[in-house]
Amino acid sequence: MELSVLRAYLPAYLQAAEATLAIAGLGLVGSTLLGLVIAVAQYFRWPGARPVTAVYVELSRNTPLVVQLFFLYYGLPKLGLVWGSGVCAVVGLTFLGGSYMAEACRSGLEAVEPHQSQSALALGLGPGPALRHVVLPQALALATPAFTANAIFLIKETSVVSIIAYPDLVYVAKDYIGNDYNTSEALALLVAFYLVILLPVSLGAAAWERRLRHAGFGD
Amino acid sequence: MPASGIEVLFEGRNLVRLLGGLWTSLWIALSAMAVSVVLGLPMGVLMTSRHRLVKLVLRIYLEAIRVLPQLVLLFVFYFDLTLVTGVNLSGELAALIVFALWGTAEMGDLVRGAISAIPRHQYQSAAALGLRPTQVQFHVVLPQSARRLLPLAVNLVTRMIKTTSLIVLIGVVEVLKVGQQIIDRNRFDFPDAALWVYATIFLLYFLVCFPISRLAQALERKLDL
Amino acid sequence: MSTIGLATRPRRAAASTLGLVLAAACLIGLAGCAADSDSGPDTSAAGSSPASATTGSSANFRDVAQIQADGTIRIGVFSDKAPFGSVDAQGDYVGYDIEYGNRIGQDLGVEVEYVPVEAASRVSFLETGKVDLILANFTVTAERAEKVDFLKPYMKVALGVASPESAPITDVAQLAGQKIIVVKGTTAETYLASQYPDYDVIKYDQYTEATSALLDGRGDAWVTDNTEALAWTTQNPGFVTGIASLGPADTIAGAVQKGNTDLAAWLNNELVDLGKEDFFHQDYELTLKSVYGDVVSPDELVVEGGQV
Repeated sequence: MELSVLRAYLPAYLQAAEATLAIAGLGLVGSTLLGLVIAVAQYFRWPGARPVTAVYVELSRNTPLVVQLFFLYYGLPKLGLVWGSGVCAVVGLTFLGGSYMAEACRSGLEAVEPHQSQSALALGLGPGPALRHVVLPQALALATPAFTANAIFLIKETSVVSIIAYPDLVYVAKDYIGNDYNTSEALALLVAFYLVILLPVSLGAAAWERRLRHAGFGD
Repeated sequence: MPASGIEVLFEGRNLVRLLGGLWTSLWIALSAMAVSVVLGLPMGVLMTSRHRLVKLVLRIYLEAIRVLPQLVLLFVFYFDLTLVTGVNLSGELAALIVFALWGTAEMGDLVRGAISAIPRHQYQSAAALGLRPTQVQFHVVLPQSARRLLPLAVNLVTRMIKTTSLIVLIGVVEVLKVGQQIIDRNRFDFPDAALWVYATIFLLYFLVCFPISRLAQALERKLDL
Repeated sequence: MSTIGLATRPRRAAASTLGLVLAAACLIGLAGCAADSDSGPDTSAAGSSPASATTGSSANFRDVAQIQADGTIRIGVFSDKAPFGSVDAQGDYVGYDIEYGNRIGQDLGVEVEYVPVEAASRVSFLETGKVDLILANFTVTAERAEKVDFLKPYMKVALGVASPESAPITDVAQLAGQKIIVVKGTTAETYLASQYPDYDVIKYDQYTEATSALLDGRGDAWVTDNTEALAWTTQNPGFVTGIASLGPADTIAGAVQKGNTDLAAWLNNELVDLGKEDFFHQDYELTLKSVYGDVVSPDELVVEGGQV
């Protein structure tokens, strides 16, 4: 391993890390919103919500992101829909992550005891405010471990977006492997960058979960 | 009728080739899963041991494998391990090794979780009945853990299958690569083939994974967890 | 068996990448355990890695005698780059490079096993002994020659630029500010990077992806081998090869693993023999003629007997 090579590659990796974080962040926001909508729709039994969300959840869960991205990027243009690689990546991550986030939110919502919303309604809050001020805050706190697990999962999943020419960390690494044949340096940096991104999230999540557990009753 | 591109699927042996590509992915996923079950069971049991060094080593292994994207592991093994060992590691074999390592970690953690979920009084009662520790494991703990474990392990199979879609990036000819070959071959006559080919692959993955997911759900309900 | 140690540099470096993974693992493990409210673990043994399984490595190529004894030669080719190497609806490999490969197999008296490669992985397939020979439109360059042993050439090549007929790129200066599509690991990519580092380049792994991207309007031009650009634009109405020759005139040749002089010598002799019967002109007639038509004359592309 040559340090001079590592140093020379560093700027490109930093830029790529930014690109990775950008789609990871947007994908997280997108899938959280989608998941929340689905969970709320199911919780309140909105008409028609069940079949629609069921089909979506099954499609999302039973197909790989790679295939979803290929379809979005190379398939859809044949129908006249040409999205850039960044857009495809965020849409793909949202499509994938939405079902996982919905599950996290659902379990959170169901864990909030019914008397909580009943009491809120009895106190004169409308259904909207009751949801916003009483049920959701508790549900989200309960869903946090599942949420962070999903976040780690989604960040890891971003590693495939180079197949649609999105300039992420893997894209840069493959570039250096293919052109300079500095395989070891390129891979070492790739591993190091993912660790720098994922380790804090992973360790933070573990610590947070322990705190939650200790806050609970007994075991 | 203008060529829509869907006929590309039925030309020559294209459909058979796509299925053959899918089989390559499935074969790798299922082999890796088999290895993961065999190695993951003892790993999970060991993870519940009170021996601190054993726990530490296994935990390091688990976290190392889980924190990195599988694609990165594939790259490290595929591009680097061959240079390290001089052993000619094919894409298929590299994939099998990575998925087995990953699957063993996941499986081990599932086993650990299932064992930890057995209430303490089960151990105590078994011990009170005069069973030796190994008997407790085999006759009391493991059968009960297996019930909890089964749906989770079935779910791991679908995750494994979905993850095999990454192996196209290390040059294994699987369903996506075959799809690309078909698209390229028909570029001039059927420029829209990409839509159909990728939609078909999407559907193929769904048709494989959906029943397995359903099985996991059914097991979960049946075993009343 | 001829033995040439693999360069030690990559070996050491590779071990350290695995080491990095392990070191990180220790970090997590330690942090996790320390946080588990147990007293700090005092284990130093965790650092010694089981993953750094090193065996005494020797060169992993096969010479002619071994290939003939095994009865199969493994040749790395493109599977998505018609008309040079692609797979037909029957699942068979076809193309200009394949005709050459078939002939090599025939004259060696062995079966040919074709292994699909990507542009960027051609060198590593040879380095790691995954194939005996690369016949994948491999342009001879000085950097590559440090990693692999090239044979005598069988084709001439320069870069070309394909662009939509409606907005043709006819001069390299026009590429400034445009989105330029290239395939990773090709001479087009390195040429642009060294000569025009400020240009906006989008890189794809596979030829299929690059051509799809051009068709879908994801870029303004595609820079690739001029042979490829001409072949593709001839068959794709609406696109032209506005620049037919860009950058230095290069050659395309087969390549074997560094140090496999035995196989290289055999193949170079074969190439001289094939030249006597104008093999590559026939190959051109068979595989390329229908694509190029009258746009190109065979002598502009074909090299016989390894003599440019």
